[in-house]
This record gives sequence, structure tokens and C-alpha cells, in this order.
Amino acid sequence: MKPGSKKYNYMSSENCSYFVTAAVIAAKLDQATRAAQQLTLIASNAKALALRAGQGAAGFRPLTDFIHKLADVTVSSSKKIDLLATELSRMAAEKVRGDRAIAHFDTVYENAKDSPYIHSLDVVYKRTVEKQQDVVIAYRQQIDRLNEELDVLEKELRAAGILATLSRVEALQADSFYQDALNNVADNVESVAVSIKTHIKSSQSLVAELH
Amino acid sequence: MKTYKLYESSTHAWLVFGRDPGKPSQIIDTNQYMVVSKDNALLIDPGGIELFSAMLTTVIKQVPVEKITHLFASHQDPDIISSLGLWDQALENATLHSPWLWESFIRHFGMNNITYSPIPDEGGQLHLDDAMLRFIPAHYLHSSGNVNIYDPKAKILMSGDIGAALEEPEAPIYVDNFEAHIPKMKTFHQRWMPSNEAKNDWVSRVRELDIEMLCPQHGRIFRGDDVGRFLDWFESLEVGITQKALG
Repeated sequence: MKPGSKKYNYMSSENCSYFVTAAVIAAKLDQATRAAQQLTLIASNAKALALRAGQGAAGFRPLTDFIHKLADVTVSSSKKIDLLATELSRMAAEKVRGDRAIAHFDTVYENAKDSPYIHSLDVVYKRTVEKQQDVVIAYRQQIDRLNEELDVLEKELRAAGILATLSRVEALQADSFYQDALNNVADNVESVAVSIKTHIKSSQSLVAELH
Repeated sequence: MKTYKLYESSTHAWLVFGRDPGKPSQIIDTNQYMVVSKDNALLIDPGGIELFSAMLTTVIKQVPVEKITHLFASHQDPDIISSLGLWDQALENATLHSPWLWESFIRHFGMNNITYSPIPDEGGQLHLDDAMLRFIPAHYLHSSGNVNIYDPKAKILMSGDIGAALEEPEAPIYVDNFEAHIPKMKTFHQRWMPSNEAKNDWVSRVRELDIEMLCPQHGRIFRGDDVGRFLDWFESLEVGITQKALG
């Protein structure tokens, strides 16, 4: 690319707001991680409840293992996504810095075009643009990785709805003393899953803006 | 941004850049200095991020970019060195000389390529080819880690915020009437300089130096007898009077 030609595509979007978007995604996924941690607590409570109920909720006990498994997978997956989003936010800020440096160099090319030393900037410009191209490639790969992980987590969370339904079915068959508590477990699993899904959906639409 | 040559010899030259007509009006006008020797150039207090394009444009009219091998930041303020992250992209093998106290703070401006050379509290020296520059401690004037540069051959003292004045960007580069200049620097020194003890210690040490030009980072340069006039005035000034300055 010709230095100072202003042909360099500084941003993937029309303005600089993408690095703010990346930070918002990271914040939303941090909330999703916290919600996933609540699921672990729900799973532990459900297991304790099943043990207390004994034969009174025999069909519920295997479900608690599935809730635990779902909690573990969700926490691990959302932590991974959270890290990916935080790294994406850092890369976006690095991209902004590189873009700004190139914009400044373009201004220098225009304003110092008669300087006998203007071409000493060529190597700087080339180095910065090449480095920036690497940053952009890594940034886009990071977006793809984040998208893939969000899709995986969304699919995993479909199991939450099934678990909630099965828990309600088992609650109906349990001793009446435990029915409310078991229904409460089902409601909590569903509610946390909905909360995480909301953060994921919102993050997915924000990630789409970064392309 | 305008360029003035302050000194030239067979070994090195001093330039000052400032009075930038394109500078946004809300930011304080600053003087940036450059010492150029045979194969190297030192940028002194290279300025804020807002000035970077204008500074690089001005500098590159004087030297090729690869000749800028040293930067100096007298202290940590944004008008001194917030452009560091951009210089870091432009200069691949440069060294930044600045008080040790500020290293972990200044790195917040972004520094991956430039090497930080911490200046100890007692000062030090820098050789630029055949030129020798001394780092003169000026702590608490105003920053708690603050250093001036003295060139014994050129008899120039770059004094940072000491001697600074707040005035119009189109003001002349040299003080031409010391008495008329006092109102432009009095409140600045009373408010920004926190310690009479540090001030008087600095004045007594600087009186031992042979100085032809005292070059602040804001305002005008003192030449000849005005250097002594400034030292007398500064010595007699009570500083650190925050409440009075506010009142």
C-alpha cells in the first residue's frame, strides 16, 4: 500500500465504536458466567433435596446428576467465552491504537511532503500497516472463535429446558411434602438458563456488528 | 508548528518546536526541544497525544525518523509524554530517559518497543555522539520525580515547568521584558510548585551552572541576564500557597 494514500481500511465498521462493543460483550458474558455459577448452587441444593426425600423422590435423584453436569459444562463454557471476549476487547483496543498511529502518519505524509526526510517514514509506515494487518486477522479469528463458543453454549443450554420439564414431571410423582421444593428447583434451572440465554443472544447480535 | 534553532556547534544543535497555530485551543501550549548530534537525536518532553502529528511533521523536516534514538520526559504529565504510545509505533529502537519514579506510571501511555532508562534521584548523564548532557534533579518542581537537562557546552538548561508562563500561542519565543513577563508566570509557580525548600535548593544548585539560556516547557525562553533575573525572582517567590492561589 502506498504510504499516505489513506487507502488503508482503518476500521471494520464506520466508526470507532467497535472497541466499545467488544467491551460490552465481555461485560455481558461476565454476567453470563455469574449466572452459570448460580446453576452450580442450584444443582447442589437439588442433590441435597433428593437425598433428604429418599424414596419420596426417587425418580428425581438421577436428574440432579444431569443438573450438576449441565452446571459444570455451562460454568466451564461461559468462563472460556468470557476469556475470549476479554481478549477480543483487548485486541480491539490494540487495533484502535494501530489505526490511530496510521492515521497520524498519513497526516504527516500530507503535511511534510516536501521534507527531505519524508521517505524515512516509509519503513515505519510499512511496519505499522503490516503489524496492523496481523492484528486485524487475529481480531477476526477471535470473533469467529467467540461465535463458535457462543453457539456451543446455546446448544448446551437447550438441555436446561428439558431438565426443567423432567423435574416438574418427577415433582408430580414425588411425595406432596417435597413437590413445592422440587418444582422450585425446576423453576430455578429454567430461570437461570433463560438469563444465560438472554446474555448469549444479546452477545451474538453484538458480535454480528463486529464483522 | 514553528521551529527555532537555539544553538549550533560542530558537535550538536538545539532546536525548539512550538507556537503551533493548529493546536486545539483548550490544550496548553508547549515547547518541545530536540538535540541533534552526528548520528542521533534526542526529543525532550515530546508532548501530548494531540500534538503528535504536528510534532512528527516538524521533526521529520529536520531529521530522518530513524535518527530519533532517544526521548526524554522530565516527568509524567500528559502534556509531557502522553504521545508515547504513538512514538512507540514510530520508533523501533529508541530509549526513553525519565525519572525512575514514574516508570510504571508512564508505561500506561503504551510502550512496547521503546526501552525505559530510569534516571536515578541524583541525576546522571547522557552522551549523544560527542555531546554530553547532564540530568539535573529538580524534584518537587513541580513533580515529585522531576529532572532538568543541562548542556554545559551550549550553556542551555531545559528547565521543564520551572520558568513556565501561561500566555497566547503566538507569543514571542524569547522573554523581551522581564518585569512585564512576571504576571504571566507568577500564579503558575505559586500554584504548581509545592515546596519552598525544594525551590531554594534547586536555585542554589543551578546558580553554580553557567547558563546562557533557561528553556521552560511552556512560555518563553530566558536569555543572558534574564536567567539571573529569573533565579532571583524565583528565589524570593513564596510557592505552594494553594489556598491563597485559590482565593
